[in-house]
Amino acid sequence: MNNLPESIIQVRGLKAGYGEKVILEDINFQVRRGEVFVILGGSGSGKSTLLKNLIGLYAPLAGEVWIEGSDLVVAKDDERLRLLRKFGVMYQSGALFGSMTVLENVRLPLDEFTPVPDEVKELAALAKLKLVGLGAAAQKLPSELSGGMQKRAAIARAMALDPRILFLDEPSAGLDPVTSAGLDLLIKELSHHFGITFVIVTHDLASIYAIADRVIMLDGRTRSIIAEGKPAELRASSTDHWVRQFFNREPDSAEFEHQPSTK
Amino acid sequence: MTAAPQHELEAQVRITPDGMAQVILRGRLDAQTVPCCWNDLQPLRLAGTNKLEVDAAGLTFCDSAGLALLHYLNLGRMAPQAAVSVIGLEPELEKLFRGFTPADYEAFHRPLRKGRLSLPEEVGNAVAEVTTDLREQVEFLGSVTGKLPPTLLDRKRMRWSEVRRVFESAGANAVPIVSLVSILVGLIIAFESAQPLAQFGAQIYVANMIGLVMVRELGPLLAAILLAGRSASAFAAELGTMKVNEELNALETFGLDPMRFLVLQRITAGILLTPLLTFYATFMGILGGVAITIGLGFPLSLILHQLSSSVHLSDVALGAAKGIVFGAIVSAVGCMRGLQTHQGPSAVGVSTTRAVVTSILLIIIADTVFSVLFFFLTR
Repeated sequence: MNNLPESIIQVRGLKAGYGEKVILEDINFQVRRGEVFVILGGSGSGKSTLLKNLIGLYAPLAGEVWIEGSDLVVAKDDERLRLLRKFGVMYQSGALFGSMTVLENVRLPLDEFTPVPDEVKELAALAKLKLVGLGAAAQKLPSELSGGMQKRAAIARAMALDPRILFLDEPSAGLDPVTSAGLDLLIKELSHHFGITFVIVTHDLASIYAIADRVIMLDGRTRSIIAEGKPAELRASSTDHWVRQFFNREPDSAEFEHQPSTK
Repeated sequence: MTAAPQHELEAQVRITPDGMAQVILRGRLDAQTVPCCWNDLQPLRLAGTNKLEVDAAGLTFCDSAGLALLHYLNLGRMAPQAAVSVIGLEPELEKLFRGFTPADYEAFHRPLRKGRLSLPEEVGNAVAEVTTDLREQVEFLGSVTGKLPPTLLDRKRMRWSEVRRVFESAGANAVPIVSLVSILVGLIIAFESAQPLAQFGAQIYVANMIGLVMVRELGPLLAAILLAGRSASAFAAELGTMKVNEELNALETFGLDPMRFLVLQRITAGILLTPLLTFYATFMGILGGVAITIGLGFPLSLILHQLSSSVHLSDVALGAAKGIVFGAIVSAVGCMRGLQTHQGPSAVGVSTTRAVVTSILLIIIADTVFSVLFFFLTR
């Protein structure tokens, strides 16, 4: 049905930053429907800033962010609300509401935005939790969950209203490789079975190779995108020194000048 | 509503007299259309249905709310006695639908039934909570008194710069609010008491009264309560946030006792600054009272004479003693509540509230003890 490489998100001439401080300039890219799109970059390269601009938390200094054919930047009131409901966001720490159980967390968007009867809402939330493998933890408080489970719960909550796009901020941060791989598998499944488009900010190489269809790489020094493509191709054939360095996990030579040579 | 949702979903419910029921769904079954067919489905509850067939072959779209409705039917919650079958789902949906089984639902519902506590249990819990809290307070007091003298003597370990910082934020920065509150309270008391005293021609004794009341009671109380509101809360929030951020753990693994590193400084600052704040509050309160007395037409020299004849050195000493004790209470309770902070988003807020409530409570209790002691000592 959606096999066409139609773009679901379009970013045009985005300039992002905080007041006087410009972090990203003239950013252009498209995210295709149904793909797992990864935003890469070193610490301080503006990944999180870009994400916050994409999801409308911060207003860009200039440029456009089109989501499903509407510009989120200029959208107001009802139009903006409608756009916001087209995507779900999983924050780095999970950002589950600590005073509510996991089930209530997932139910909250349904309670607020849909006229569905309560009994059905409960089942919808439970099914979502089952989907992310948390069926048994529905009645627990977020503080009683492990880090990986919290992220799963956060994904279930982000999916509560069946969004077509999920933004994930650093899904593997603070997780062990096994848990992180489990999360990657979940992302793959959701992407495959539901055709959900994922936009993921990460710098976990293992998970990039496992899940990413396409990546863009940001660079803090040039404040721009320095690479775009499939991760394996970038690793093999990028001409950019910094991109190769990133994909091969080489340290910055400048930082190691003071260390004695291994020879 | 842009489009009429009824047109997007068609729900037919057929119930035969022998208890067979059939539900035929056609169109879009999503969060918007589920409520529309909800009412159409209600007859199933009454019908005493023993067999329910849900025909979903005509569905063009089904989101998770729609699936949840199918689950709801499938679990037999609409028709408890019926054997339910959901047929005709397209393969993709079928797979999704089978992903959530009745067993999953059972697993969820079992731990849900958590009985409410009976009254004796609630009372018991409350008593246990209070006694544990009391014990912790005593432990904390012991720990402070044990560690304070050796730390005070050791200049390096005491971190006087921290004491100075707290002294400034909790003491010096509190001067404006203490001034305002004390003057106003002095004014109010003098003004209110001048009227009944006028009936006896005893208005000049307003000066005596305001002097005694301010020096012995209200000066220390006002200073301490304002300190509780401004600084006990701040201490609890500071230490609580540090605990939540694991900063306290970081200190401990360095071999730095948070008590010695953070708490003693705050308590020392509290003990040093509260008597000063108390004297200041007393002075401002008397100033307010004097202003009223002058307004009543008495000469300043007479007022001062009345003041100096009524307020003795022992009264001033009592005020100062109260200041020291209240200061210790407020700063210690603030720190203790901060250290007791639990995890979670509301934990720091809870600690802050508890800090203010406990310190004001203890201030009043201590004040009562002071009054009784003073009465017997000066008899």
